[in-house]
Amino acid sequence: MPAPDADALESDLAKQSTILLSLKSISKTYTTGDVSVPVLHHVDLDIYAGEFLVIVGPSGSGKSTLLNIVGGIDVPTEGDVYFHNQNISLFNEQQLTRYRREHIGFVFQFYNLVPTLTARENVIVAADISAAPMSADEALELVGLGSRVNHFPAQLSGGEQQRVAIARALVKNPELLLCDEPTGALDLSTGRMILEVLGNLNRELGKTVVIITHNSAIGHMAQRIVRIGSGTIAETKVNPHPIPARQVTW
Amino acid sequence: MKVLHHKLLRELLAAKGVLAAIISIIAVGIGCFIAMSSTYDNLEYSRKNYYRLCHMADFSIELKKVPVGDLATLTEVPGVINILPRIVFQVTASLEGVEKPLSGQVVSLPAHENAPINRIVIKQGNYFTDQRQEEVIVNDAFARAHHLQPGDHIQLILNNRLQDLLIVGTAISSEFVYLIGPGGLVPEPESYGVFYLKHSYAEDVFGFEGAANQILGQLAPEFQSPNRVREILDQLELNLDDFGVFSTTPLAQQSSHWFLKSEIDGLKVSATILPTIFLIVAALALNLLMSRMAEQQRTVVGTFKALGYSNQEMFLHFIQFGLLIGLAGGIFGILIGYSLAGGMTAQYRNFFEFPSLTNQLYPRVIILGMLISVFFSVLGTFRGVRSVVRLSPAEAMRPKPPLRARRILLEKIRSFWNALDFRWQLVLRDIFRNRTRTLGGVLSATVGAMLLLMTFSMYDSAFALLNFQYDKLLLSDIDISFKDDHDYAAYFESQQINGVDYAEPLFQVGCTLKNGIHEKKVGITGILSNARLTIPRDTAGNRVDVPETGILVTRKLADILQIQAGDSLEMIPVSGDRTVRRVPVMKIIDSYLGLTVYADFQYLNLLMGESSSLSSVQLKTNPRPAATRQIYRQLKQVPAIQSVTSIRDQKEKLQEVLIDQMIVMIVVVIIFSCLIFFGSILNASLISLSERQQEIATLRVLGYTPAEVGSIFLRENICVNLPGILLGLPAGYWASKAINIAYDTELFRMPFTIGTMSWVYTVLLGILFTLISHWPVQKAIQKMDWLKSLNVKE
Repeated sequence: MPAPDADALESDLAKQSTILLSLKSISKTYTTGDVSVPVLHHVDLDIYAGEFLVIVGPSGSGKSTLLNIVGGIDVPTEGDVYFHNQNISLFNEQQLTRYRREHIGFVFQFYNLVPTLTARENVIVAADISAAPMSADEALELVGLGSRVNHFPAQLSGGEQQRVAIARALVKNPELLLCDEPTGALDLSTGRMILEVLGNLNRELGKTVVIITHNSAIGHMAQRIVRIGSGTIAETKVNPHPIPARQVTW
Repeated sequence: MKVLHHKLLRELLAAKGVLAAIISIIAVGIGCFIAMSSTYDNLEYSRKNYYRLCHMADFSIELKKVPVGDLATLTEVPGVINILPRIVFQVTASLEGVEKPLSGQVVSLPAHENAPINRIVIKQGNYFTDQRQEEVIVNDAFARAHHLQPGDHIQLILNNRLQDLLIVGTAISSEFVYLIGPGGLVPEPESYGVFYLKHSYAEDVFGFEGAANQILGQLAPEFQSPNRVREILDQLELNLDDFGVFSTTPLAQQSSHWFLKSEIDGLKVSATILPTIFLIVAALALNLLMSRMAEQQRTVVGTFKALGYSNQEMFLHFIQFGLLIGLAGGIFGILIGYSLAGGMTAQYRNFFEFPSLTNQLYPRVIILGMLISVFFSVLGTFRGVRSVVRLSPAEAMRPKPPLRARRILLEKIRSFWNALDFRWQLVLRDIFRNRTRTLGGVLSATVGAMLLLMTFSMYDSAFALLNFQYDKLLLSDIDISFKDDHDYAAYFESQQINGVDYAEPLFQVGCTLKNGIHEKKVGITGILSNARLTIPRDTAGNRVDVPETGILVTRKLADILQIQAGDSLEMIPVSGDRTVRRVPVMKIIDSYLGLTVYADFQYLNLLMGESSSLSSVQLKTNPRPAATRQIYRQLKQVPAIQSVTSIRDQKEKLQEVLIDQMIVMIVVVIIFSCLIFFGSILNASLISLSERQQEIATLRVLGYTPAEVGSIFLRENICVNLPGILLGLPAGYWASKAINIAYDTELFRMPFTIGTMSWVYTVLLGILFTLISHWPVQKAIQKMDWLKSLNVKE
C-alpha cells in the first residue's frame, strides 16, 4: 500500500479543522546591550483546533521562543500572530495577560509549581483567575492524582509534579495547551505516563496540544510534526499513523 | 485569592527568623514614635487641662509695692482681661527635727477658694478657714518630703519675725509644676517649698495693707502672640513705673512653664528623628530581604504571569508581605511604645507636679504609628520586588544571568591578594560584588554606632556641665542670701560661725542692661578680686579675672545685646536708686551659663552708691556632718537670712537625677542599637546563606567544619560592620554637635564633650553586637542540610 501523500494529508487536515492560531512571518531577536541574537526568522505556522502538534528541534533552535510567542508570554520582533482572527502581537500587556488567562494552558519542563502550596492549591491558583474553571479535584482526577492532592511538591515524584502542572494548565479549560519539554526531566516510563495524559486530553477532551521537544521520538505520537532548526521551520509533516504514548520509546 | 494567602503565610513562616529581626527594628522605631508622641500628648494635655483648671496667668509683674486701688486701670489696657494682686516673698522656714534651714516662697491667696487667677488644687486637708489668720497651705511635694500633714505646724520667718503657722492643707498649682529654688536646676522639695498664706494675713505681717508686690494677669486669646504680649507688658510697665517694677514676665518665660514646655517640645523633636532612623534601617533590610525573595521566586512569578496573573496582581501579592510585616511591626511597636510611654510618664511624675498625669492611649498616635509602619514596610517591599515583577513572563522564567565574575579592585594588588587565604578572598569578593547588601550593612552599623556615641556624649556633656558648675565655678559649700542688702559686718559674722573655714561676700544687683533697642533683665554679681568661691571661667575652664571697673559678660548676653568688649551699656537697677548708669563692658567670655554678669565687688558697690554692701555670703565649711548641723542651727537663729542653700546637696541631687535619667536612657539606647546590629546582620547573613548553599555544601564535602564555614560569614560581617562602626563615630560626633546646638538656651548650654571612653565603648559595643549577631547564623550553618543543597537549582 503506497504511503499517503504528506501534502494531501495536510490538506485534508486543514479541511477538517479550523485554524486556531496562525503565525505569519514571525521573527524574534533578543538584544542585550550591544549584542543582538536573532532566534526566529520569518516563521509561518498554523495551529489547528483539536490537533496534537509536536515541534521538534535541537537546543537553541528557537522552539521555546516560538512556544512563548504562541502562548503570549513573549512578543515577536516582527510578524503577526492571529488567534481567532485577532492579531495578538498588537496586544498590550493587559490584553496579553487576558489572552493567557482565558485561552492558554502552559506546562513547563521543570513543572514550575509553587513549593509552598499543595498539589490542589497549585491547581486552584489557576482556577481562581479563570471565568469558568473546572474543579481542581476534577482536573487532578483527570491526570490520575486524586489521592495525592494535599501533598507539597517536595513530597511528590517528578511525574506526579508534572501531572499537577498539567492539571493546573487544564483547570482553566484553555483552548490551547502548550507544553515545553514536558518529559525533559523525567525517565522513560514516567515520561510515557505524561505523554499518555496529554494524549488523553487531546483525544477525549478535544484539547489542542502543542509539545515542543528535542526528542524526536515523541513526534511519533503526534498528528503533525514540525521540525525547527536555526530559527526557521525546516519541515512540516502530517503523521498518518500516530502511535499511542506507551509505544513511544527513546 | 485565598490560595495565594496560604503561599504568603507559609513563606512568612519559613522566613520567620529574618522577619523577626526586621519586625523588631520596625517595632522599636514605631515604639519610639508612640512612646514619645504619647508622652508628649500626656504632658501637653495635662498641662493644658491643668492651666485651664487653675486659670493660669499669662503674665506676672514683680514690683516693689503698689496700692491695690491703683490697679483698676490696668484692665483698660487692650488685651488685659483679668488681674490679681498678690504678696510674694522669699522666706526661710523651720521644721521641728530638721536641722537645715529651709527656704521657700510665700504666696498670698484670697481668703476664700477659687482665686480668679493661679488657683491651687488641694491635695490634703482644706483651704483656709475663718478660725485663725496663722494658717498656711504648703505645696504638696514639700509636705511629702517632710511627712507633713494637715494639723502639723511650721515656722516661717516673715518680715524678720518668726511665726508659727498651722498647716491646714497641702496643695499643688499650675504655677509650680516644676518648682526650683533660686539658682537651682532641679526641684529640691526637701529644701524649698511654697507657703500659701491668706492675703489679709500677708498684708498684716509684711506691712502691705492694701498693697501688693506682684500682679498676675490674663490676656484675651487674640492677644497671645509673643509680640503682642511684649507690647502689653511694656505698656503695663510704663503704667506702673512709679511703683518700682522689677520685672515683667510673660508665661513663656515663667520658670516652671519654661522648663515644662522645653521638655515637651524636646519630645516632639525626638518623636520624629529617632523613629525615622530606625524605620529607614528597617526599610533597607526589608528591601534586601524582598529582593532576595523575589529573585528566588523569579520562576514562580513568570509562571503566574504565564497562567494569566497580571503585574498588579503579582505586586499586590508581594506587597502583602510588606503589609503583614508592617502590621506586625506596628502592633509590637504599639505595645512597646505604650509601655515605654508609661515608664517615661512615670519618670516625669517625679519632676512635674500635675493633679493627674497618666499614660493614655491616643487613637490618633496609634493609627499614625501603624500607617508609618506599613508605609515603610510596603516601601521597602515595593523597591525590593519591582524589578522582578516587571519582567516579562518569558524573561522571568529564564534563569537569572550569572553575576559577571569580574575581579574586584583589591585583586589588582597582587602581593596583598596572594597573601590572603582563600577564605578572605571569598569574603572580600562577596562584599564587593553585593554592593547594595554591603552598603545596607555599613549603613545599619553606622546608625547603631551613631546612636551609641550620641547617648554617651549626652552623658559626658551633662556631667561636664555639672563638674564645671560645681567643681570650677561654684566652690562654696553653703550659700546664704539675705532678705535685704547687708553691710560688711554680716560677712565678718559669717566667718565667726563654728564650722566655717572661709567666707566670701557677694553683692548682687538685679537690673536691665540696655544697648539701644536691645535690652535684657539680668543679675550682676559683684565678687572679690581674689574670690575663691565664685570663679568666673571660660569654656576651657580658665579663670577669668573680673576687671577692676566695668563688667564681664557672657558671649550669649553679648549676642543678645549686640555688644563687643569696649562698648558701654545703660544699666537700670530694678530696685533702690533706679538712676540710669553707664557701665563699660570690659570682657566677654565664652561660658556655659547663659546670662551671667560679673563685676568687682567694690566697683559694683560704688556704682550703686553703696559702700561694702552685700546680698549674700558664700561659705566653705568643715565637711563633717556634725559641723554642718551646727552651722545650720546657728543660721536658723538669723532672721535676716532669706535662704540657705547647700551647694554640696544641690550637686549631689543633680548628680542623682542625671544618673537616674541617663542610666535608663543609655540602657534603652544600647538595647536599640543592639537590635539594629542584630537585625541587619541576621538579615544579610541569612540571605547570603541561602544564596551560597551550594558553596557551603561544597566546603562541607571537602571537609570543612561548620565553625570553619561560619568563620567566613563572621569575617564578612566584621568587614562590613567595622567600617560602619568607624563611620558611626564621626556621624555620632556631628549628630551630638547638632543636638548640642539645638539645646543652646538663654539659661545655659551644655559643654560639647565626648570622653575617651565613650569612643572606646562605642567601638567595643559595636564589635560585641556584631559577634552576638553571628550566633544564630552559626546555628543555621550547623543545622543546614548541605547534602540536599548540592542538588539545589536556581
